[in-house]
Amino acid sequence: MVRVTGNFQSESPLDPKAFEVLHAAFESGWANPGKLSQSGARAHQLRNQALESIAASLGVAKDSILPFSSLSMGYFLGIQGICDRSSTLIHGATDRKDVFAIAATMDHEILPSDLHGKILAPKAQSPTSVLALHVANAETGVIQDCAEIVGRVNSDRVFLDATTSGIRKPISCEYSTAIFDSRSWYGPADIGFLVVNKAAQWHNPFPHLNAAKVNFDAPLPLIIASAVAIENFSSRVTEARIQAQVFNAQLRQAFSQIPNVDIAGSLDSTLEHMLSASFMNCNGEELLRGIQNDGFSVDSGSACTADDLEPSHVLAAMGILTHGNIRITLHPDTTQSEVDGLISSVKSNVDRLRS
Amino acid sequence: MKEIDARGLRCPLPIIELGKQISTLSNGEEITLYSDDPATEPDLNAWSRMTGNKFAKLAEETYLITKN
Repeated sequence: MVRVTGNFQSESPLDPKAFEVLHAAFESGWANPGKLSQSGARAHQLRNQALESIAASLGVAKDSILPFSSLSMGYFLGIQGICDRSSTLIHGATDRKDVFAIAATMDHEILPSDLHGKILAPKAQSPTSVLALHVANAETGVIQDCAEIVGRVNSDRVFLDATTSGIRKPISCEYSTAIFDSRSWYGPADIGFLVVNKAAQWHNPFPHLNAAKVNFDAPLPLIIASAVAIENFSSRVTEARIQAQVFNAQLRQAFSQIPNVDIAGSLDSTLEHMLSASFMNCNGEELLRGIQNDGFSVDSGSACTADDLEPSHVLAAMGILTHGNIRITLHPDTTQSEVDGLISSVKSNVDRLRS
Repeated sequence: MKEIDARGLRCPLPIIELGKQISTLSNGEEITLYSDDPATEPDLNAWSRMTGNKFAKLAEETYLITKN
């Protein structure tokens, strides 16, 4: 088996400091923070400290943060929590499937994307509409002009999906709710954070008996590990973004020399650490395997690598080639030699598959 | 007129076959492509933009491609 030395997939190992604290947290944070025992009080204190730290890194009030334990739950809480029975949900064609699933249960309108991945906002909407918008796309990294779209849609209820952008791209518009994924700052999986920015507009969409007490949460050890990870990543995010921009520019320059390549978005309009490129007449699965055999792991949005045969709805909505696609994520520990090796591997594998 | 029956073939084979066949045509000549792969239609959008050739959807799983 080939040893993979360069990880360019979106998933990455947990931040080492967060990993250390996770073990300790399972020892000291096992009790129910809601109970009045000594161990419960200790857990309550740990939880408060962790949420304060996360809130500070996100630039929001500590009381506005609610942890949840799966992304699908986060989308439901963030969107349904600001909808009522007469709401029309307006969302982009390149949003995550979770948003499409929620939209399918209510009146909705899908905003198309242009070739660069920018959502095209309509002229005006009813104020009763709810706008769901991602800050940056999970497949291509394309950053939306949130303030402009929010202004044009004219909705006073806005849900923001910040699961991909995290703390790399500060939120620049008014919003009601937003969700964050701990993995975006190298924290643990299966935990995210709902930020309720305008409490008056949000209600708990889960069946509940006590409106004053939320009936969802995430495990305390994961909350503490998320806090350590975000503290750690906050201290080096600027450096990571600068380094990723250099590597991303090198990848784009190298790939643009390959004939018939379709690169999603520009360096200026996407998150620095993400790149999506499609190579015409290449089988995505074979391209992925070839790159893996050279020691590098990447993701793909090609239908030829998926079980359901459906092409990436993001690439299709943009009008980007859906086959022969690879998605590259640049992590803070990515090295120059890994980037050089990946470029060489992609070039040789594309040549091989086209010959 | 040339025809390509790519039904049953998965992406990117319909587009690869189209690329081979269209290279044998002169400008203005047409090919009918039959494909039931869900990636074919979005890929034809991108392919026509990148190659300059034109396409129109005639019916479900049926596309008319004009060399340009």
